[in-house]
Amino acid sequence: MSGVRVLIAKTSLDGHWRGTSVVARALRDAGFEVIYAGEMRSQEIVNAAKDEDVQLVGLNIGGRVEVAIRIVKALEDAGLGDLPVMAGGTLPETAIRSLEEQGVTCFPPGSSLRDIVDTAESLTSQAP
Amino acid sequence: MNPQEHNESHRLTASGIPLKPTYGPEDLPESVRRGVESSPGSPPFTRGAYPEMYRSKLWRIFQLSGFGDPTDMNERLKFLLEAGETGIIVKHDRMTDDHLYDVDHPEIEERREDVGLTGTVTVGLRDYETIMDGIPVGDVYCKPGGGVPQSAPYTQSCYWSVASKRGIPLDAISGTGQSDFFLTYLGCPMREQIPPKAALRFNLDLIDWCTERMPRWVPVSIAGYNGADSGLTAHQELGAVFANAIEYIDGTLARGKYGIDDFIHGIGGVNFRTSMDIMEDIAKLRAARKIWSDLLQNRYGVTDPAKLRLRIHVVTAGSSMTYQEPLNNIVRGTVMALAAVLGGTQSLGVSGYDEAMSIPSDHAHLMSIRIQQILQEETNLEAVADPLGGSYFLENLTEELETRALDFLAEIEGRGGFVSTIEDGWLMDQANDAQMKAFAQIETGEKGIVGVNSHLVSDPIVDVKAFEGRSGQEAWDNAMSRLTELRRTRSKREADRAVASLCSQLESEENVVPAVMDAVQADVTIGEIGDSFRKTLGNWTPSARIWS
Repeated sequence: MSGVRVLIAKTSLDGHWRGTSVVARALRDAGFEVIYAGEMRSQEIVNAAKDEDVQLVGLNIGGRVEVAIRIVKALEDAGLGDLPVMAGGTLPETAIRSLEEQGVTCFPPGSSLRDIVDTAESLTSQAP
Repeated sequence: MNPQEHNESHRLTASGIPLKPTYGPEDLPESVRRGVESSPGSPPFTRGAYPEMYRSKLWRIFQLSGFGDPTDMNERLKFLLEAGETGIIVKHDRMTDDHLYDVDHPEIEERREDVGLTGTVTVGLRDYETIMDGIPVGDVYCKPGGGVPQSAPYTQSCYWSVASKRGIPLDAISGTGQSDFFLTYLGCPMREQIPPKAALRFNLDLIDWCTERMPRWVPVSIAGYNGADSGLTAHQELGAVFANAIEYIDGTLARGKYGIDDFIHGIGGVNFRTSMDIMEDIAKLRAARKIWSDLLQNRYGVTDPAKLRLRIHVVTAGSSMTYQEPLNNIVRGTVMALAAVLGGTQSLGVSGYDEAMSIPSDHAHLMSIRIQQILQEETNLEAVADPLGGSYFLENLTEELETRALDFLAEIEGRGGFVSTIEDGWLMDQANDAQMKAFAQIETGEKGIVGVNSHLVSDPIVDVKAFEGRSGQEAWDNAMSRLTELRRTRSKREADRAVASLCSQLESEENVVPAVMDAVQADVTIGEIGDSFRKTLGNWTPSARIWS
């Protein structure tokens, strides 16, 4: 997946970077170009996705699903509704259901890095 | 993996120390004798901090807790005390407290639903009075919060002010701060934190302030846990914790106000993690006491045995708790708690079985306490100090960890010391590399995690719901009301004066603690205190190569 650009951001201000960092490294090792944005607000994520011309957004969710959905909607409102979004973090099942309804692919703790990379590859190989 | 392969494979501890199938007398070289043959409670303390260990004092049951409104926090603390907790920890909302933001800060407004999810929200001292309502402040051992250095003066000032208002003298209250570098700059690096050098100043100020006034208070507690749960291996955790302690010792000595005997008690209460490699972690706690005792004796010339004693708090690894089949985590918590006890910890927090999905529900909290009570009352484990002392394997592993830890410590010192390796990102790289190796072992199946990558079943039968605390943005709405009320009813002139005085204190070399104390008592809000710090001290930017 050489050269495919992916933005990795944290939705909440909890600071935990362990999962984010491991996923970012796994994607980079698989050939993705990872732009690590850290903790960002929805508009900052929209701007970064546009400025960096990414083909995938990965969200780390350490808080409530409402905050993540606000970001997904902001991407839609900015005309980036086709941009695939993946999410990981401390996701209760109810949050996974809400995110999946928004078209977000979810990876709760314990997910395999191979699955995450495979999904990222499949989501971006269909991109125009 | 069939049993045959299991036997033939090269076996290592979690930190990578090779393991033999069996150990014998040849594994106890002359060099380990000093530790092995010492008595518990005597230098070098390998075998325990106190002569009779748990017969003289059981370990403190000390659980992290907090969510939602201050009233929620208060209610949970009372629940935990009723269940038998013997010390209390107030966990603050990471978003508002660790960043020192008021709840109407744009970063918080955007994420209002997250407020109160990671701890309780305070807008100022008045909320602390609510948290402590009906809690016997003078009698209970308390960690009032302040995980990150910039929030430590605020949370402790709030707690101390509650005590003062109740007429309890500060020298009578006991507890601990945290103010931890590992959390702030390595485990959970966040935006808008004061730079490490300013954090060091704050911690030295706290040590100074408590040395003079609060003999029963531990001003700072280095939390190796936060390094370990971010990847640092056992010997790296040990080496880095003592490298950090050395900065506090040297910094305090350089101020020239105290001799080491005056303040060392305030630095010698530290925190380590136990994980599922329990023999390695038992060895780690034993090695820690020896390293500390030898360091103080050999490098700093401390002679009083009581001053050479390291006191340890253990938190069991949150990262070992699985999202899948969460009730299995009760077993994991028990096993890791056992490691802490066999290693001779002074206090213990067992992570909740729902750790991978939320902060603890009341039931998960109760189970963390019950695990400890069952170990204390039903096992006889508390009857004999250092019950595994003399084991060929354990003593060998203790020495091996000590050797590796001292090498890692020397490497940090060779790179300019602990704060330098935080500033330039080197320590973070070490953690990150070790963490990737650990994940790779799980990914390949080399390391089995039951219910996650091995022994999977199609229906795990029992479902555990994530604890949601207050729903929606309720905690944020309530905090907004309290903030508005605080601003409306306080003396604005008094608050402005306190903020101006805090800023001038920050710009000088003077101790910051009394100025923060003055500010909280003048109803200055948490965000206004944070703004004062940001204005005068600036912000730390994590090294970019962390994630590259």
